[in-house]
Amino acid sequence: MINSDLQALITTLEMAALTTIILLIIGTPLAWYLAKMTSRFKVIIEAVVALPLVLPPTVVGFYLLIAFSPEYLPGQMWQQATGQQLAFSFSAIVIGSVLYSLPFVVQPLQKAFEQLGDSLLEAGALLGAGPIDRFFTIVLPLTKASFITAASLGFAHTVGEFGIILMIGGNIPGETRVLSIALFDHVEAFDYARAHLLSISLLISSMVLLAAIYWLNLPKRNKPKDLTVNTKREEQSANE
Amino acid sequence: MNDSLINNAALNSLTNHKTPQLNININISYQQFELSIKQSIPLNGITGVFGHSASGKSTLLRAIAGLETTLTGEITLVDTSLVNSEQGIYLKPEQRQVGLVFQNSRLFSHLTVLGNLEYAVKRCKNSRLSLAEVIKLTELSALLDQEVNQLSGGQQQRVALARAILAEPKLLLLDEPLSALDRHSKTQLLKMILNIQKQLSLPMLYVSHSLDELQQVCDTLLVLAQGKVVSFGNIHHVIHQLNNNHECDLIQQQTSLSLPIKTFNNGHGLTALALNAQQDIFLSCDQAFEQQTQLRCFILASDISITLTEPSNSSIVNHLLGTIKQINAQQNNVLLTVICGSQDFFVTISAFSQQKLSLTLRQQVYLQFKASAVRTFIH
Repeated sequence: MINSDLQALITTLEMAALTTIILLIIGTPLAWYLAKMTSRFKVIIEAVVALPLVLPPTVVGFYLLIAFSPEYLPGQMWQQATGQQLAFSFSAIVIGSVLYSLPFVVQPLQKAFEQLGDSLLEAGALLGAGPIDRFFTIVLPLTKASFITAASLGFAHTVGEFGIILMIGGNIPGETRVLSIALFDHVEAFDYARAHLLSISLLISSMVLLAAIYWLNLPKRNKPKDLTVNTKREEQSANE
Repeated sequence: MNDSLINNAALNSLTNHKTPQLNININISYQQFELSIKQSIPLNGITGVFGHSASGKSTLLRAIAGLETTLTGEITLVDTSLVNSEQGIYLKPEQRQVGLVFQNSRLFSHLTVLGNLEYAVKRCKNSRLSLAEVIKLTELSALLDQEVNQLSGGQQQRVALARAILAEPKLLLLDEPLSALDRHSKTQLLKMILNIQKQLSLPMLYVSHSLDELQQVCDTLLVLAQGKVVSFGNIHHVIHQLNNNHECDLIQQQTSLSLPIKTFNNGHGLTALALNAQQDIFLSCDQAFEQQTQLRCFILASDISITLTEPSNSSIVNHLLGTIKQINAQQNNVLLTVICGSQDFFVTISAFSQQKLSLTLRQQVYLQFKASAVRTFIH
């Protein structure tokens, strides 16, 4: 019986890890674009990205369920491409999680990119660094903490997901049965002992993860906030 | 190391018969601001770009560096077309081989001093300059392992300067590089910039709103106002032209000079500068003059007065006989241009004095000014 919970844990970790990787790949350029964008459409894209924060997960899940079904275009296209049905599959819950956790990755990155500004990138360009070079040698090292935050939040939020998965994934062991669904099952079956076990382990691991994020960000908070070094220091000419 | 640098410089001056040029013909227009500049700048020594804020001087530098994207026209550096909007050429900043030292040093805070310098070295295609040589020129050897945000403002600018040089640009742009520094660091960095220019024969464009700064380092001056070129040429000529430009009101009216030192100390604590074969200018002696043969100085027009007879019983040491060349009435003042030998001097007197003395063109007058009115840039 414990085996089925272990199976759910593995499915959950697989889903969350894959979701986090996809989120970083699509979230980084999206956050960059939003940080540099000046068009009035910026607010609309920002609102769409933030939508999962306020919308009940079941609403998102409901529309995704319809879109993923073989009667509608996205579901049809998926079926043609892969030969498998999209709804109630592992792929479906990953896609759902990506959409649902998007703001948790995009928002911290966007804020970090905005704070970084253009000045250091201009300096880098004038030293001969191209755009990709600048991203890996200037942007990434200076916004490392935000990338860690974004990835951890994206991962943790995906682990804690319930409504969307229930709508579009169902409860297929080894495929879409994740921890939160397993927990729901145990409660429905009045198996409170196992429900307690799952709940307390989710609670503790989430707690540990969040504490780790805050701890990782701690030394950055004690450093001066501005990323460019242009502050005149009191000890100005003391060393000169 | 030094020898090879000097040889390089000598080689450069031998092979380039004609002075390479920076040709600019650009238009930039924003809602509130329009910049329209057509100018050829010979690339030798340090060329100053002077103007008040919003005159467009920083925008011009950004355009040359490739950071200003909304412009039309052409910019050509030596034989490379940086921008040509007709042919659709717009080189990215990383392809221009133009360096820029910003007002705020813009160092990479995740790297040490050495890390910042190596960032430039790794991306430099020529590597004719050695890292050790540049570290020596910018006096950074003691700071290499430090975090950049532990440094003082002056030290940060030295790192920024070294980093920009190590990219081996064909042209180095300096955008108000001293404006955030105290006086001591300013003097130190100015001397360093002059020395680097000479050692590496690297042409520079130096933007500043401080004429003082520019008079210390520049031979040529470009003056901008409201996005247009007001004047361009030899720095002394340009300053003298600006004296008579009332519309712009850019500078304090003054006589700007560069004169050979005739006697370092005449025994009474005065240094004599040779104005011409007959006439000398005296100023208070300073130890720093000893190593120099030529001295740059200026005399404010309001510090010079006029007498009709030679003042023999005066404490004022400088009196020069000259001829009035131009009389220019301003509000309550009159600006006189008086020529002594071949040198123009600028003098402001009150309208009241002009009435009392009833000065006329081609009249001979004596200029008088104290030794302390001759200002130098040595602090």
